[in-house]
Formats: sequence, structure tokens, C-alpha cells
Amino acid sequence: MLEAYLKDALVARLTAWADDEVVLAQRLSEWVGHAPILEEDIAIANLAQDELGHAKLWLELRQELDGSDPDRLVYFRDPLEFQNAILVELPKGDWAFTMVRQYLFDAYENLRLKEAAKSAYPPLAEAASCILKEERFHLKHSSLWVERLGQGTEESHRRTQEALETLFPYVHQLFQPLPGDEALVEAGVVPDLKALEAPYLEEVTAHLVRSGLRPPEGGYVPKSRREHTEYLWSLLAEMQSVARWDPEAKAW
Amino acid sequence: MWGTEWPRFEVMKQDTPRSPVQMVGSVHAADPEHALLVARHVFVRRPAAYALFVAPAEAFFHVSQEGLKDLKPTRREGGSEEPYWVFAKRSHRRSMVYGDLVGRFLAQGPEDAIAQALLQTQGVAFWAVPERLVVGTEPKEEVVESWFAPAKEKTYRLQSYYGLITAKGVEVNRDA
Repeated sequence: MLEAYLKDALVARLTAWADDEVVLAQRLSEWVGHAPILEEDIAIANLAQDELGHAKLWLELRQELDGSDPDRLVYFRDPLEFQNAILVELPKGDWAFTMVRQYLFDAYENLRLKEAAKSAYPPLAEAASCILKEERFHLKHSSLWVERLGQGTEESHRRTQEALETLFPYVHQLFQPLPGDEALVEAGVVPDLKALEAPYLEEVTAHLVRSGLRPPEGGYVPKSRREHTEYLWSLLAEMQSVARWDPEAKAW
Repeated sequence: MWGTEWPRFEVMKQDTPRSPVQMVGSVHAADPEHALLVARHVFVRRPAAYALFVAPAEAFFHVSQEGLKDLKPTRREGGSEEPYWVFAKRSHRRSMVYGDLVGRFLAQGPEDAIAQALLQTQGVAFWAVPERLVVGTEPKEEVVESWFAPAKEKTYRLQSYYGLITAKGVEVNRDA
């Protein structure tokens, strides 16, 4: 079982991972009914549901630790309490923006989950290896799109490169440790995110270059997961509206 | 605007290693690899999948029962052969599935392949496609596990399964 001194740190870690998934799922779901083609509409609804399922797994692990209710956390927390990275909260943009973001996130998830599957905390190792199976397929889908868009028409290339200019600096935030991470890493409970950043940048840069794209240098990197853009407010307002409207509803 | 649609691909699915390969529908996609990916999203949840195949819809030769009498399978001595996949629709019963794979036939053309298949099975419609145009998922553990296994565990439910926002009340108020 988990040593007591690690509990708060792990709760914070799981919440950050879950919040990334919840917010990304909400952004993906905005495409439902609007995707460029019916097949991709179905695909993106699937991806959104998968990400939400992953959030549920992380929040259930948190529930085991502190008894918190996953639904309350998702639907009744205020924006400033959300711990998601800015990468996932930015508005959905065009299809190129959505696919580049999905690719950058999926590649990070694959690396991180591969390491997390070796966690010394068995429930976390189990959840990670379960999510990893699905994420391997997500990465196939998004990396295929980045390649097609990057090498497609002049317009698709331009839009994809523009999306990359905006999104790329934000990926660094995914690898920032939380204040309690050091003890967790030392105990072998979570992977050392900082150590994954270099292999990540190498892998995605190779794919982006293969796809005819150029990852930008520099750019603003948020300092912590407490930082958000104005876009998170409207996203959560929409996502939480039904639950907040009728908090006593027992089934919907 | 006309002419901007992606090409259509027929999708063939095999539910388990022992199940027949069946034509389940079609998807629009930019290329075969893309077609496989969207086919995974569209078709694998019900009930399960072990393998998926796609081939360009225009590459299929098809003939119905009524057309069979006019089928002219031409075979030339020493003519070149290639393997075809032949599918048969066995009845008009309503079904989610179009045709079952009858088998692979080395033939000089699709008509020839269907003529060979007719020696093995009856059907109300037949399709034949050259094997070289069929692209499938690899039958590797790694692929099955990431493409198909997670979907199998997801139960598909009709909307009516979920309750309405009416179940409020009694117990909640009592606790409060």
C-alpha cells in the first residue's frame, strides 16, 4: 500500500492527469456534429469518450486515497481549482489545430503511461497499462493526421504549421513536476516527467519533420498548473451547467 | 461542390480468430491506412473485432442472383491469374452484414473467381475483389490489444438505458 506521507502528493498528481483528460475530452466533444466528415465525427466522439474514461480511472484512484467523489470534482470545482495544462484548454480551432494538439498530447501520454505502467503502486500501474492500450491507437490516429495535413495541400500545410506555432511551446508544461512529485518519483510511484521531456521532443520532432513541419523554438511556457487562460472559464461553464443547474439529480 | 469526396472503401471485419470475414459496410477515407483507422472507430464496438480489412469500393465486382445467368467467366489458356477474395450474401434476411467470405480463389478475373466460388456455395449476391488491393490490420497481439480489445469491454447501450432527470428526492432529502 501507499506510504501515508505520499498521499497528498499522489492526490495532486492524479488530479492533474485527470483534469488534462476531462478538459481535452470536452474540447474534442465540441466537434461532435461538426467534424469535416461523418467518419471522423464518429472517431472524435470515440476519442472524447475514451479520454473521459481515462479521467474516471485516475479519479477513482484518487477516491481510494481521499474518498473524494469524481463527479463532484469534475462538475462542481471552480476553474482556479482545475489543474489541467494550458495545452488542452485552448479553443478547438480548426481541424489542423485539433489534430496537432491531439498528436502532441497522445505522444506524451504514450511515453508517460509506458513508464507509469511500472509504478511501485500497483493500482496506478494497472490503470496506466490499461489506458496505454487505448492510447497507442489514439497516437496512430493523430500521427496519421499530422502527416497527411503536413504533406497535404498548401493550405493544410499552412494551417498545420500555424497550429504548431501556437501549441508547441505549451507541451513543455506537461513535463513540469508538481511540488510533491519528487517524493513520488523517489518512491517509484510516478515516472520522472523531467527525464521524459528529451526523448519526447526527439520523437515528436522526428515525426513533425517527416511530415514537412517545423517545430518552433522558444515561446511562452506556463510556470505552473495553477495558471490558466480565459478559455477555461467558458469551457467549464458549459460542461458544468447541467450538473450545477440540478445538483440533486440522481440520474441523467 | 462535387468531386471533393474522399473515395469509399468497403470494410471487412472478422470478429474472432475463428469467425468468418464479413463485409460490414463502408467508410470514406483519404487512403487505405486512413480507412482502416476510421473503420476501427465506426465498426469494431459491436460486438467485437479481431481483424479489419479495407479495399477500394470501386475495385469490387458484384453480381446478384438474377445476374448470375449472364455471368461470363472467361478463361484463356495460359492467361495470368491472381488471387481474389469472394464474398457471398446468403439470404435476404435483414442483417448488419452484407457478405461472408467464401474463400480465396486463384482466377483470371472476378467473374472467374465467382464461378469457382459457386461450386462451393449458394447465395443471392456475390462480390469479388483482387487480394492485392485488400489492406488489413496485422494479426499481432500488440495490434489486437490496442485496436480491438478496449472496445470489446465497452458496452453499447441504447439511450433509453439511462434514466431521466426525475429520480430526485426522497432519500436525499431524508439525509439532509
